[in-house]
Formats: sequence, C-alpha cells, structure tokens
Amino acid sequence: MNSTVIPIAPKAVVAKPGWTDSWFAVRKELTPRSRVALIVGSFLLPILIWCAFSYLPFVWHPMMRISDPGSVSYFAPDMLVDKDVFRDETKTAKQNGTALPQGSGANPIYLPAPHQVAKALYTAFTTAPERKDGQWLHESLWHSVQIIFWGFLASSVIGVPLGILCGTYNVLSRLTEPFIEFFRYLPAPAFGALAVAILGIYDGPKIAIIFIGTFFQQVLIVANTTRKLDIALLEAALTLGAKKIQLLFRVVIPGILPDLYRDQRILLGWAWTYLIVAELIGTSSGITWFITQQARYKNFENVYAAIIIIGIIGLVTDLLLAALGKWLFRWERSPNKA
Amino acid sequence: MNNPPSLPSHLLQSAAVRDRFTRLKQREVILEVKHLGKQFTSAQGTVTALKDINFKTHRREFVCVIGPSGCGKSTLIRILAGLESYTSGEALLDGEPIVGACAQRGMVFQGYTLFPWLTVKKNVMFGLEMNDHSKTTAEREALQWLELVGLSKFADAYPHQLSGGMKQRVAIARALANQPRILLMDEPFGALDAQTRAKMQSHLLEIWKNIDITILFITHDLDEAIFLADRILVLKAHPGEVQELIEVPVPRPRNFMQITSPEFLATKARLEALIHPPKVEDDDEAQIRPHMIRMARVGDDVEDVE
Amino acid sequence: MKQSISSICKHWLHRLALPLALSAALPAAAAPLKVGYSDWPGWVAWQVAIEKGWFKEAGVDVQFEWFDYVASMDAYAAGKLDAVTVTNGDALVTGANGAKSVMILINDYSNGNDMIVGKPGIKSLKDLKGKKVGVEMGFVDHLLLLNGLEKAGMKESDVTLVNSPTNETPQVLASGGVDAIGAWQPNSGMALKLVPGSKPIYTSADEPGLIYDVLAVNPSSIAAHKAEWQKVVKVWYRVVDYIYDPKTHDDAVKIMASRVGVPAAEYGALMGGTKILKIDEAKTAYQKGTSFKSIYGSSKLVDDFNVKYEVYKTPQAIDSYIDPSFTSGL
Ligand SMILES: Nc1ncnc2c1ncn2[C@@H]1O[C@H](COP(=O)(O)OP(=O)(O)OP(=O)(O)O)[C@@H](O)[C@H]1O
Ligand SMILES: [Mg+2]
Repeated sequence: MNSTVIPIAPKAVVAKPGWTDSWFAVRKELTPRSRVALIVGSFLLPILIWCAFSYLPFVWHPMMRISDPGSVSYFAPDMLVDKDVFRDETKTAKQNGTALPQGSGANPIYLPAPHQVAKALYTAFTTAPERKDGQWLHESLWHSVQIIFWGFLASSVIGVPLGILCGTYNVLSRLTEPFIEFFRYLPAPAFGALAVAILGIYDGPKIAIIFIGTFFQQVLIVANTTRKLDIALLEAALTLGAKKIQLLFRVVIPGILPDLYRDQRILLGWAWTYLIVAELIGTSSGITWFITQQARYKNFENVYAAIIIIGIIGLVTDLLLAALGKWLFRWERSPNKA
Repeated sequence: MNNPPSLPSHLLQSAAVRDRFTRLKQREVILEVKHLGKQFTSAQGTVTALKDINFKTHRREFVCVIGPSGCGKSTLIRILAGLESYTSGEALLDGEPIVGACAQRGMVFQGYTLFPWLTVKKNVMFGLEMNDHSKTTAEREALQWLELVGLSKFADAYPHQLSGGMKQRVAIARALANQPRILLMDEPFGALDAQTRAKMQSHLLEIWKNIDITILFITHDLDEAIFLADRILVLKAHPGEVQELIEVPVPRPRNFMQITSPEFLATKARLEALIHPPKVEDDDEAQIRPHMIRMARVGDDVEDVE
Repeated sequence: MKQSISSICKHWLHRLALPLALSAALPAAAAPLKVGYSDWPGWVAWQVAIEKGWFKEAGVDVQFEWFDYVASMDAYAAGKLDAVTVTNGDALVTGANGAKSVMILINDYSNGNDMIVGKPGIKSLKDLKGKKVGVEMGFVDHLLLLNGLEKAGMKESDVTLVNSPTNETPQVLASGGVDAIGAWQPNSGMALKLVPGSKPIYTSADEPGLIYDVLAVNPSSIAAHKAEWQKVVKVWYRVVDYIYDPKTHDDAVKIMASRVGVPAAEYGALMGGTKILKIDEAKTAYQKGTSFKSIYGSSKLVDDFNVKYEVYKTPQAIDSYIDPSFTSGL
C-alpha cells in the first residue's frame, strides 16, 4: 500500500486527543489510514502467532524430530517423539554408554508450518489429477460451490417467501413457526441416510442436507426481519389506498429488502458450515473428500490449505455481496447519519 | 389564570369573522362524529381512551384538536383514518360510516413515514398508483404536487437526503395527491424546530387556501392551533371527552403579526385555562411525580441559580 | 464426476420427480451395474481395472462409485447400489438389517493391516491385563482383540474396553487415556506413527482369514445379470495378476495410491498388510470349513460374535450369503 495515497488524518488544533481517545472513541469511525492498518493487522496477527509457534523453538515445539536414532531401537529418522520420551531415551543411552539419539524440536503433526501450507496450496492447484476420473482441486471446489449454490437456492426459493408471509400474516406464523422451531434443532446430518434413500447417492442428498441446514433457520430469520418493518409505513400505505396484495409487494417486500439481503449473506455463511457433513453423504466428492482423505493420512498441510481456500472463497463472496448490496440499496441511510 | 380584564372575551367576534362562521356552517358536512367511544382492553385492564365524542366538520374547514397528553387525540385521528376500530358511536365521512383505511382520508404522521426505498417523486406517485392511475398520469400529477410544496428540485432525491421539514412537505404532497376528502394530521410539525415549524404553518395555510381540502389537525401547541384553525376542539383526559369547541375569532388571512392581537391573546388565554386548569392536574405526565433531591453541592460557587 | 450446473440441476429435479416406487424397481437393463467401493487396499485395487478400461474390454458396463466406507453401506442398504465392497462381517450386519447380499468374490484377507497397537511398554496381549483398550465396539478390530485374548488365554473381562471410533483411535492412543487400541489401516499405522515406541502386539497376520474383504452383490441383481457379474469377477483376476506381476506391480501401486491421494511409496507400505488372494487361494477360501481358513468358518465366527455383542439379534444363514460359483467357474 502506497502510503502517499492515504489521506492523512486532520490534526486537532486545540487539544490534541491522546491515542486512546482517537483509537477507542465509542462507535466513531476511524481514519482511513488506521482502518487499513487494522484490516491488515486482523490477518497479520493470527499469521504472526502461527509463525511464532512454527519457527520459534522456545514457543511450543513439544516434540522432537529424530535426525539420528542413535542406539534407540524404535527411533527412526524423521520420526516425531515426545520431548519427555526423547529425554528419557537419551538418559538411558548415556548411562549405557551407547550412541545418543539426535533430533531437533518440532511441532506435532497436526500443526504444519505456514510455508508447508503455502507449498501445499500451490501444489494443490498445480498438480494435475493422476487418475483419468480424477479432478483438479479447483474442479472439486467448483463441485462443492455448486452443492452450496443449489442447496441455498432451493432453500431460499421456499424459505424466503414463506418467511415473508409468516412475518406478515400471523395466521401463517402460528401455523408453521412452532413446528419449524422444533425442526431447526434436529441435526441436519441425521437425515443423511433418509436423503440417500430418497435422492440417490450423488448430489441430491448433499443438496438436501444444505437445504435442511438452511431452510428452517431461514424461515424464522426472514419472518423476524419482516416483523421488524416499521408498522407506520404499512399504516401510511393503507391511508394512501394500498390493498392487501399491494401492501405485501409494494411495501413489505421493498421495505425489508436490505435487511433480507443481509440475512441471506449470513445464512449463506451457515450453509457453508453444512458442506462438510453434506459431502460425507453418498459418494465422496468435492473439497470434503479432499479434506477427510488428507486428514486420514495425516497430511495436515493439505488439510489446512483446503480450509484456507474455503475461508478465502467465503470471505471474497461476502465482500462481493456486501459491495453489491451497497450498490443495490443506495437509498438506505448510512448508519452514521442521524 | 383568568382572563386579564384588559382582554376581550374569546367569544367576541368581529362582523367579518361572524359572517365567515355563518357561511362555513352552511357548507356541507364532511365529517361527523356521533357519540364516539373507544376502550382499550389490555392485560392491565380496560382504558377508556375516548368517551362520547361529538362534532362536525364542514367542507374546507380547518379544525385543530388540542388536549393534554394521553387524552386520546391520536386515538381519535387513527379511528378517523380507519387504522383503529371504535367501540361505540359512529364516525361518518360524507354520511358513510368509516370502515378501514382508504384514500378518501389522507393522513400525515408525525414521523414522516416516507418510503425510504422510493425517490421523492415515487413516494408521491405511490397513492396514485395504488388507486389505479396510470404511471404517466401519476408521474405528471406527482410533479405538480411537488411543485406546490416547492420540492420540484428534489424529485429524484431519496428521503434520507432531505431535512425534516422537506420530508413533511413530501408527506403532505403524497397525502394530497390522492385528492382526499379530508386530510388528517397528527402533530405533523411536532418534530421540527421553531423556525421550520412557522414556515410549514404558513405553507400549509397557503396550500389549504388553494385547494378544496378539509383538514383535521392535531397539535399540543396553542399558538399553532390558533394560527391555523377555524375551530379548535379541546379534549380533556381520563376519559377523553370534548371539553369545548372554540371558534377562533382571529380574522383570515392569518399572519404572524396577529399573535399579539387581542383576539389571539384572548383565545390563547381561554385555551390555557382549559388545558392547564389552576388546580386539577389532569394529564398523564402529572401522575408521574418526580421526587426532587438536592444534588448540587452546598457552598457551590453557583449555588443560587434562581 | 464432472457435472455442469445444469446437469446437476436436471439430475436433481429428475431425482425428485422420480417416484420412489420406480427407483426401487430392479435396475433397468440399460443402466450400468453400480458398485460402491472405499478406502481399503483390496478394494482400491479395482481402480486398476477402471483406469485401464478393462471392464469395457470385457464387455460389461459397471460403474464404480467412491465412498466413505460407512456411507457406502448406507447407500447399499438404501438400494442405491447393486454391489458394495465390505468385510464379510459387515455383509452379515447389513443383511441382518434388511439389505441382504451375496459375497461372490473375495478380494483379500487382512494380513496385518488390522492391529492391536500397544503404547510403549506394552509388549504383548498379556500386558493388557487390567488395562484399557480403545476399540470401536462391534467392529472387526473388536473381534480381532477377542480372538487374540482367547489365544493368550485371557477373557474379555480381563481388559476394559473404551468405545472409540476407528478413525479417532490414533488420537485416543496418543492422548494416553488407553493402553492399547484396535484399528485397521491407515488408522493403525497412524497410531504407530503418532505414538513413538508403540508396537503392534497382535495383528490380523496372526490370524489370517479372521477378516475377509469381499464384493457383496444384491441377490436380485445376480439373478438379473449373472453373466455380467461373472465378467466382473473375471476382470478382478486380471487385476490380481497385474498386481502380482513384478513388471507391473509398481504401476498398480501408483494407480491405487492416486485413488486415495497419497504418495505411491507411502501406499506401497500399507499394502503389505493386505493379502490379496490369487484365484487358487480364493478357491481354497471358498471351501466349506470351520476355521478362519474358510470364509464359511470366518463368517460363522463373526456371526456368533455379532449375536453375542447384540450387533443384531438373530443368527444369519451363512450359506445363503456365500456363492463360490463365480470364482470356481473360472
Ligand atoms: N394500543 C393501546 N392499548 C392500550 N391503551 C392505549 C393504546 N393506545 C393508546 N392507549 C391509551 O389511550 C389513551 C390515549 O392515547 P393517545 O395516544 O390517543 O393519546 P394522545 O392524546 O395522542 O397523547 P399525546 O399527546 O401524548 O400524543 C392513553 O391513556 C393511552 O395509554
Ligand atoms: Mg398522540
């Protein structure tokens, strides 16, 4: 980031506020420069912690990676052993006067270092599938994205209108919401076997799990959002001669759109959390197959690479959707304007 | 606080004013309220918000409703708008009972209630479109109404870009665009600052003069009521009842110079006497009695503020 | 399985629109035979035939679908597959719960890939007396443990069992909460890796034939497609030859490793614990007997175990689950 581009915060002339005042002012927007710094920091901080754990031996490193087994029968090069075990064996070897084992501090296998994950990320995208019926990583990802897309779409096509109707008409709300309240606590994955029996082994049951995981929350959340619409707007519309259907389509729906859009963004994030269970149902496919398989063989750098990719996809889609929402709902008052 | 001896009675009307009232009362009755009553039943029990309300409003009349907080002004106007049901009596518009809301009775709320997702022009077009006018007609008429309230320049602005006074002008234009028989206004200028409010008052009178509209206007501001109204309906609280119907003796056309005229002051004195009677405190606020504890330090530099 | 959005959509709508009754009917003649397979060396070997296009060469239309093991049994039980790769014990379990199958082919028996792994200091099963052992109860390694204990002159009550999902056993052992675990590959190997100094103290190599891995086919599919299944079995022995031929062995391992997504060298090491049966060995295993040398004997013992541990209630008619004719016909 070229620092000359960033506008410098205007200096207070009379009383220069202390740094606590400028950074910790309650609900006051920060200067553009500090905003950028904080965004970068929010990612940099966890990465730095991760680096510290990975590269600074004194931070954690509870294991020893064997470089020379010495006289210890069961040690082998590249084996990871507990520091205690290593110390005990070294002591025994010393007492017996036999060859000492050599090794250096290391982290457990389930915490790979950043550079290993970076390398795994790179190779994942650059390695062609070995089998004829194999898939590139981006193809697996694309498959997963499609599962989410169809599950979320199917849920929204029914859930959003139903939610709006429930929020508008108490009759519908009383009729459906108690059951939905009950159903939303049922774990979606539990319907896996049933979904397979009805929808087959391919994408049908996976989409169904995303659907079940999303739909019930969606109806309740959308209904709630609908109820939050200022009733005075409905009354104003009534006094202007709006009839029932017009009230719904010309006032309720346009009135809740920005909030509905925000709800949908949040719900889409939830849909992603159901992906891992959804893809374990039926044939193994998508990014989940990659993650579970690599975890089974303890190739954790690949697991982390895949997790990071999911995170990036989620973050980028949300940012894009947020920008789109800003453009779509230009008429919304900005939150800082009274 | 009785009328100072120097003021004439508010009942004293000049010949012109008396003449005007005679003509006014000969005009057709637009709104008639007969023995209207309203009870709210809630978990806390039953509240009688309105009891046996009677009055008539004639065509092109400007009626203000005034009364202490909680006396049922909003309830009354909401019943007339068709947003609230009533429990007894009758409310008639052009002789027809009022059932439900409709475009015949326009309403302007204190809280603006513009549709934030529509531009100013589309807000004004809303009612016209709801009443099956074509888009082109609606657009043409909306622009005329915006012209009337002086907001042509803001036709394509969104409500959040307007000041409170401008928003209320749009709301008035929106209600008037439907050409209702009566315009109901519930403390429409209550949230505006004094200057804007004065401007809006003159503006409203200007509009009222130029179009065929009957206005029922709620306020708790005595000056506003006298400045605007032909007649003032004074309500009292618990239960909400008509206390008096005052004919304002201030001649028309009105201007702010009249505020110091004897008629104006006499009417105000009468209203004061009705609304803030010397002993009986009757409004909702009076039932909330703060207990004053001295919180300023003794020996403070500015101990004596009075 | 490359699918465009529209084809997924069409597929999905199709699935929804298709009445249940229709989908439950026998697979139409035109539809390929569907086989669910999963991550076990003896089953991953099918990948060789898939990759080489041998089914097509043999003139049989089969479609192999890759699953998680448990998900593959679920799909078979739901009637979505014509056949599934399972252990002989799990074929009985699935059958007892309503999805009967017939084992027409023996891929392998576990020859060390199933292990009881003791933490450092535990050198034999005898050392486990009074100790805790983590196994997934009712699964094959529970059986392996009981088999080992019996041989060591011990009873089940001599140890305390801790029910742990098989794929979590490495972590369970590493946590120190138990003194040994029972698991199959790759979990057993991972446990050895994760806990330095841990040792296999009893493995399926000590009791060859305790666990057979088979191709279990829906009886109605056998009735309708007997000739096709015969061809499938024939292709399998082409695969077996390819694996055992020193010239092609490495290629076979490479193909198999690619299926599970691990380096070939790492996978080659795992394969030692699986004894893929040559045709003669399979024919021997298909002969009736009461010991683990025979699939009949092995299945009977597993059946006893399953009934005893209430995996299911009624003993199964073992003979109806086994059809040696496809193998002996070659
Ligand atoms: N929905 C309701 N349920 C129960 N009681 C109500 C309801 N709405 C109003 N009331 C009661 O009816 C009475 C009249 O209320 P209303 O809002 O009409 O008063 P108001 O004259 O408009 O007061 P203000 O000047 O403060 O606006 C009050 O005592 C109030 O508590
Ligand atoms: Mg009110």
